Amino acid sequence: MNIIESSHLTKTYGDFAAVSDIHLHIPGGKVYGFLGPNGAGKSTTMKMLLGLTKPTRGTFVIDGKKYPENRMEILGEVGSLIESPAFYGNLSGEENLEIVRRILGLPKSAVSEALEIVGMTPYRKRLAGKYSLGMKQRLGLASALIGRPPILILDEPTNGLDPVGIHEIRALIRSLPQQFGCTVLISSHLLSEMERMADSIGILNHGRLLFEGTLQELKQRAGAQGFPTENLEDSFLSLIEADNRQTGGMR
Amino acid sequence: MSVFPECKKMKRTGFFPALLLGGLFSAMVPVLNMAFRSELYTGQGKPPVRILLDANWQMMAMLNILLVLVGTCILYHTEYENHAIGKMAALPIRRGRLFVDKFLLMAAACIVILALEAAAVGFCSFRWFPLPEGFHGLILELLQNFGYFLLLMMPAMLLSLFIASVCENMWISLGIGVICVFTATMLPSGNFAWSLFPYALLFQIPKSLPAHTAGKLLLAVPIEIGAIGIAGALFANIRRRFT
Repeated sequence: MNIIESSHLTKTYGDFAAVSDIHLHIPGGKVYGFLGPNGAGKSTTMKMLLGLTKPTRGTFVIDGKKYPENRMEILGEVGSLIESPAFYGNLSGEENLEIVRRILGLPKSAVSEALEIVGMTPYRKRLAGKYSLGMKQRLGLASALIGRPPILILDEPTNGLDPVGIHEIRALIRSLPQQFGCTVLISSHLLSEMERMADSIGILNHGRLLFEGTLQELKQRAGAQGFPTENLEDSFLSLIEADNRQTGGMR
Repeated sequence: MSVFPECKKMKRTGFFPALLLGGLFSAMVPVLNMAFRSELYTGQGKPPVRILLDANWQMMAMLNILLVLVGTCILYHTEYENHAIGKMAALPIRRGRLFVDKFLLMAAACIVILALEAAAVGFCSFRWFPLPEGFHGLILELLQNFGYFLLLMMPAMLLSLFIASVCENMWISLGIGVICVFTATMLPSGNFAWSLFPYALLFQIPKSLPAHTAGKLLLAVPIEIGAIGIAGALFANIRRRFT
């Protein structure tokens, strides 16, 4: 069953279509990878799903709650990390999460649990402004995970992490559906990352959804269209290039 | 309403020390004035609070307005500095409510500032003037005057907060505020319409104004508070439509 569904979701800025008429079907309890080159519209779509940007057209339903009527209820169920991590630099990691906890009305233990999950407990008293990029990213993840929300929207959460950190966060994200029963929508422009994490993927290019399905289905489609199938990255690149040729890179 | 998260956000920003020290500095104005030239004021034959406010309030009001500017700029600067407001926007809390909570925190800080100033004026009255209406009368006079000042301060508080919420760069909101304050000092003082400019309101002492002017002023200010407050909260809520 799909936990997130969008219909004709579109965002335009003047003549420029950042996201164009997309229909998403994100199954519950899975990791859904949102894949596309830089500027494909991944972040804009995620922002629309969080109500941070108003769609020009179209609507979506998250866990049976329709946007825009139930925006606040949707936000209560979704933990998010969009673009760069957002935090109060003058507060410690723990104090940052304490503010989020208060707003969400969660028990006090939620803060230490979230810090523990992302491995930030030893640094909880340090000012967030003094964190390294990787630590900021982990704090952002902790503030998304606090209270174990049923849905997580993560925009390139491994940005700024070192290889060990990337591996740890990947393993964490991969385990979230089993551990907490949540659905994860994660974006990346790296297919290799998605291969390791996602159960199904959506490929965006120039604001349009080119493909939605499992990695196996992507392989089959690439094969059917005469694209290379030995390597998923090649299949992905061929799909994008074919679309660019077809549309001339226009939106 | 919960002002707690807003209080917590101000930790280590200098918000509380700046306003407290500014309030103390402003409270020192009448004390120092009386300490060095009390002979100018003690023989005037008017109620002591009136004499002290006529002599010192312009300077104190200017300091208060500047403290309001600094305070409101800090309140939103912490939100914009590391894009924390982005996180707030993704939480189930309306931006309009953030605006209202920040206003309540700023109003609470202004009450402390005004209380310090009232205590200083009270001390000067007690120390240098006879009190024909007694201590009780002095307290009542102070409460009335500083109650009015709190009311007159609110439109500037709200407008500064509104400007700070609109401008992501703190220096722009601070600059606009400073220009507004200096504009207020240049406005013609006898004109009632000009006196309603939010940054000019605090320079007036309602109890020193003719009764009908003071009455009109105290009627207009709540309308101004309502209008700016609603505009600020509404803009905060609809801002995402422009992104």
